Amino acid sequence: MARTAKRNPVDTFFSIITGAASFSVVVLIIGILIVLISESSLSIGKFGIWRFLVSTDWDPVRESFGALTNIYGTVVTTMLSLVIAIPIAIGIAIFITEISPNFLKGPIGAAIELLAAIPSIIYGMWGLFTLSPIMSRYIEPFLQKVFGGLPLMGILFQGTPMGIDILTASVILSIMIIPFTASISRDAFNLTPEVVKESAYALGATKWEVVKNVVLPYSKLGVFGGIVLSLGRALGETMAVAFVLGNDHRITTSLLDAAATITVTLANEFAEADKDIYLSSLFYLALVLFVMSFVTLAIAKFFLLRAEKKYTR
Amino acid sequence: MTREQFRKAEGFAALALSTLAALGGLFWLVFILGDVLVHGLKALSPTLFLNDPAPPGVEGGGLRNAFVGQLLITTGATLIGVPVGVLGGTFLAEYARGKSISHIISVLADIMVSVPSIVIGTFIYAVLVKPVGHFNGWAGAVALAVIMIPVVLRTTEDMLSLVPWTLREAAFALGAPYYKVITQVVYRGAATGILTGILLSIARVAGETAPLLFTSFNNSFFSLDMKQPVSSLTVTIFQYAMGPYDNWHAQAWAAAFVITIFILVLTISGRLLIRWRYK
Repeated sequence: MARTAKRNPVDTFFSIITGAASFSVVVLIIGILIVLISESSLSIGKFGIWRFLVSTDWDPVRESFGALTNIYGTVVTTMLSLVIAIPIAIGIAIFITEISPNFLKGPIGAAIELLAAIPSIIYGMWGLFTLSPIMSRYIEPFLQKVFGGLPLMGILFQGTPMGIDILTASVILSIMIIPFTASISRDAFNLTPEVVKESAYALGATKWEVVKNVVLPYSKLGVFGGIVLSLGRALGETMAVAFVLGNDHRITTSLLDAAATITVTLANEFAEADKDIYLSSLFYLALVLFVMSFVTLAIAKFFLLRAEKKYTR
Repeated sequence: MTREQFRKAEGFAALALSTLAALGGLFWLVFILGDVLVHGLKALSPTLFLNDPAPPGVEGGGLRNAFVGQLLITTGATLIGVPVGVLGGTFLAEYARGKSISHIISVLADIMVSVPSIVIGTFIYAVLVKPVGHFNGWAGAVALAVIMIPVVLRTTEDMLSLVPWTLREAAFALGAPYYKVITQVVYRGAATGILTGILLSIARVAGETAPLLFTSFNNSFFSLDMKQPVSSLTVTIFQYAMGPYDNWHAQAWAAAFVITIFILVLTISGRLLIRWRYK
């Protein structure tokens, strides 16, 4: 194969072109890193690395910037959305692989995947016009009534329910990542060999016991990889949260307060940043986000690859 | 309760919860799509496609500029992203097949698929907007192309790997050089799959908003000049939905309706194509 490639000049040419095209991925990733570092060098020089990451300042007028409020918003909305999404997604995967009759498997799987194809701006807009009023009128007052009086839980539900807050943003984010997590979990479940499941049934296990004791342990690597992958996606999601989070730079314990994520800050302020240090700090935020999501996605990929290796062995 | 009864009850409860979860997933799909459909159809009218926007606060007007701008940007992105992606995927599946470089690039592309699109927007701003001095349509097209490349590259690689190796050997045996084997045998065998990948990648970028916010920006006037700011449906939806006017909201719903239908049609036809080819 390699010898044929060397003999023909057109072949050499074609292999160089295709090679260059595939290296564009490497060039892009390294390019993004270099460009973001050089664009944020002004801000890195002024605020340092550690001081930028732990400072809660975000004041364009005094030209003092720190990332902590943004990182906090990103982490809290992402984690909350995962808490909502994971049980539902795994439930969906169990339904598709174990419960649903065969003729329903295809259509339901397809419908869940269509949910993944809807662009995030539609989720965001739907959240603003439809979900946010429902949250502020019914769900949030209800949660406040039930949990507001309890010690510890109470601080999560303080303030006036406005519908533009961390909770609404997390709910929308969770609806967005459910399809990902569900379809990766489904694929992982499907890799469990039928023989192992049948042996468990033969011992008299109920369907749920087969899922709990055979399928889940067997596919845990894949499911975990899928969850981390969803985490990586949720970290960088912009439009779904930009509509309903309010872009308010502060650290709040109440889920009914507005906040800001890195992505929302970028979406709202980037085109309007008038000073060099302001723009440079926004690039710095983008760099922080890039590193965060790249590391998360690399971890996810590591687990998914290990899962794949284990099953194909 | 005996142990058997408990196990049965536990099993029933767990399965009922899973079924509820699946119904919940479908419920959101119907809720969101239904909402977009109802609000969108109400605001849909011929003037939406034929007129340019009216001044803020004035009734009437349409989104002709945004429809045309979206088409320009998406076409530009496809023209840049598809060739690079298909050629790159060809390298991974053919010339570098089985080598570790192929594996590394493949993993990097997988990660790149999920890199936040707004970060790509800031990157393109630094590379293509700042040096030029103003927002421009090409920057938007390139930003979308950057998102497209890893998607097309990975599907092409997978689809080419599905073509049986013996087919290539048959062509080699006739004395064909590798590039002819690829273009005339392997591409033909994988054409449907590659086309599906391209359709799905177009569907993916057509709904992207974040990378356009500070590359192609927005333009309230009709413009075909890709060197100037170009309006897009998605950025217009963001601006209109966040704006204070009711007719802006209605037009945002209409635009959301059009873009959702476009993307769902692309996605569904992609899936049908692949089912028809590989069943």
